[in-house]
Amino acid sequence: MKTWPMWIAGTIVLAAVFHILTIFALPYGIMDRAMAGIAAQAGGVNKPLYPEPATAAARGIVRPSPDLLYTACVYDVGARPLRITSPVPDTYWSLSMFAANTDNFFVVNDRQANAGSIEIILATDDTANGGNGAPVVVAPSSRGIILFRSLIASDEERASIDAMRRQSGCEPL
Amino acid sequence: MKLFLKLLASFVVALVLGVGSALLLLRGGLGSTTAVGPWMTSDVIGSADADPYTRARVAVGGLLALNRSETIYFTAATDSNGETLRMQCSYKIVGSDPPARWWSITAYAADHYLIPNPQDRYSFGGNTVAREDDGSFVISAGPSESGVNWIPTGEGDGTFTLTLRLYNPAEEAVRDPSRIALPRIAREACSR
Repeated sequence: MKTWPMWIAGTIVLAAVFHILTIFALPYGIMDRAMAGIAAQAGGVNKPLYPEPATAAARGIVRPSPDLLYTACVYDVGARPLRITSPVPDTYWSLSMFAANTDNFFVVNDRQANAGSIEIILATDDTANGGNGAPVVVAPSSRGIILFRSLIASDEERASIDAMRRQSGCEPL
Repeated sequence: MKLFLKLLASFVVALVLGVGSALLLLRGGLGSTTAVGPWMTSDVIGSADADPYTRARVAVGGLLALNRSETIYFTAATDSNGETLRMQCSYKIVGSDPPARWWSITAYAADHYLIPNPQDRYSFGGNTVAREDDGSFVISAGPSESGVNWIPTGEGDGTFTLTLRLYNPAEEAVRDPSRIALPRIAREACSR
């Protein structure tokens, strides 16, 4: 009996399995690499990183916007919730959070914050308490990335916006 | 031994076919559920509703993208005539302010990173672009200096893409991105 049709069918099924595994695993793998890179530069997880504006030399995150100042923090709320704080500048600004599978599960911008500063607790459940009534965001994965974006509105304002974003932070409760 | 070799060959072929076909599918940018001329976007970028392919595409070509209510990302890999954008060609990007609080147009090399150029200039935005008398703008992209809103495409000869970001888009843009008027991309000339 010829067995080659069975071998071809088996190879095609196995190829389909590898295809699906690649599609599902790739976001986690790329996020893992991004988290490792940010944490290495920041000195660990739950610590902020204040990179310079993106140039062609930047090879950390794909398709960066050169018009924004980014502040990044790899979160790990598996053991303890995280307190996220930042002044809110008078320019486009947003605080966004990304799960381990790349989903953008939370975002707030300067207009929505409607205040001079913001404080948010990130935790694995909504019973976390920062002690001062700060809103709690529940993370869908215990690890992920927090990203602050600040628009460089003009060259004149660059220094003041840069100084302000360097006050953004993330630290375990 | 013969059976082992057959199994090994089957495994290797399946691995190459499976992983290769996945990577090939992910080369097409951030997905394209909506097109406005050459500008393509996906309605579910960054969203938990994203299907596995969109999520994988975003991871490869737009990691940490915001969801549509905060930012709409349009990407163009061709000009308005459907011709692939090439670094050795010059283009005029002509339009007026899209309905958003702030917007920018940025050029990226095929590897999804900013294009090296001596000017260190990669983009123009609503706050930096020089405008015509009627408020519209003309941005040029190409290897040679052209006009006040010039984005250099460096000295390479590969392809490139343009990303148009709409931060805090207007409600009607979020509801139906396909109805937004977006800039036209016209090819002027090619040096090779």
